[in-house]
Amino acid sequence: MPFGFVTGVAAISAGMSAFEGIALSVLSFSGIAQLIVSQLMAAGSPILLTIAAAFVVSLRFLMYSAAVAPHVAHLSLRWRLLLSYLMTDQIFASSVRRYEAAGDKRYLHFHFLGAGVTLFTTWQVAVALGVLAGAAVPASWSLDFAVVLSFIALLVPAVRARADLAAAIVAAAVALFAAGLPYRLSLVAASLAGIAAGMALELMKERRR
Amino acid sequence: MSTWLVILGVSACTFLLRASFIVFADPHKFPRRFRQALAFVPPAVLAAIVAPGLLLVEGALDLTGGNPRWIAGVVAIVVGARTRSMLATIATGMVVLWLLQWVMR
Repeated sequence: MPFGFVTGVAAISAGMSAFEGIALSVLSFSGIAQLIVSQLMAAGSPILLTIAAAFVVSLRFLMYSAAVAPHVAHLSLRWRLLLSYLMTDQIFASSVRRYEAAGDKRYLHFHFLGAGVTLFTTWQVAVALGVLAGAAVPASWSLDFAVVLSFIALLVPAVRARADLAAAIVAAAVALFAAGLPYRLSLVAASLAGIAAGMALELMKERRR
Repeated sequence: MSTWLVILGVSACTFLLRASFIVFADPHKFPRRFRQALAFVPPAVLAAIVAPGLLLVEGALDLTGGNPRWIAGVVAIVVGARTRSMLATIATGMVVLWLLQWVMR
């Protein structure tokens, strides 16, 4: 809920109309992608770079999709399209846990759908509230900082191993040093450098075994 | 107009990435190395957004007491690690920021 609200406020502060902010939220249904779009739009980035940055931050969906695919392969195309659309970080975590547990799994896609629709509804309501509040909140409240804080709340649990920490530190350092690049190119450069650093540590660990 | 191109382009990306293996491809053909690399997307991307948000003031690195954002951010990181709660992290960070801004005024 608070993340959705912040996302809605960010869309308005980036210069989107209320309708555009809500359309972005309903169509893309990804908080991180929505926030990236708002940040880059506010920085005046070109269209293609904005889309490329959203693509990079959404690469994690490839991993989710591959993990869930074997469990839903027996469903019709319509079901698989619907479940793809509803896939988020939270739904991925809860559905994979259920698919890996013991028991009857024939009807688990109904659970997936139910959880997905619930999350979708709450998310859109929260974003809409943020969009409505966005125009009314004065700049002196520094609500843009709430965007950074929601990313902190996502970052902390994402750092589980030493290689994750290396990825985060390298990405942070590159983001600071490359901050002078135009159109926030630093975001994509820093993300790729962080991924490379994490991967390097992972390979070193494997070689030591 | 350009806003709508961005909205449609970004939405196509998020949907196609989500549908990739569920609808189009065979997950057994997913290279292991690539899968390992994807696991680093969240920490790398999130840190790349957080660091400038805390440490850059008008484009320059500011680690002094005159920049309340990094202090509020460090408090938020500690609260996030302890509580794992998004609401607690955002609320504490905002309150610390407002307090510091009020003290410095």
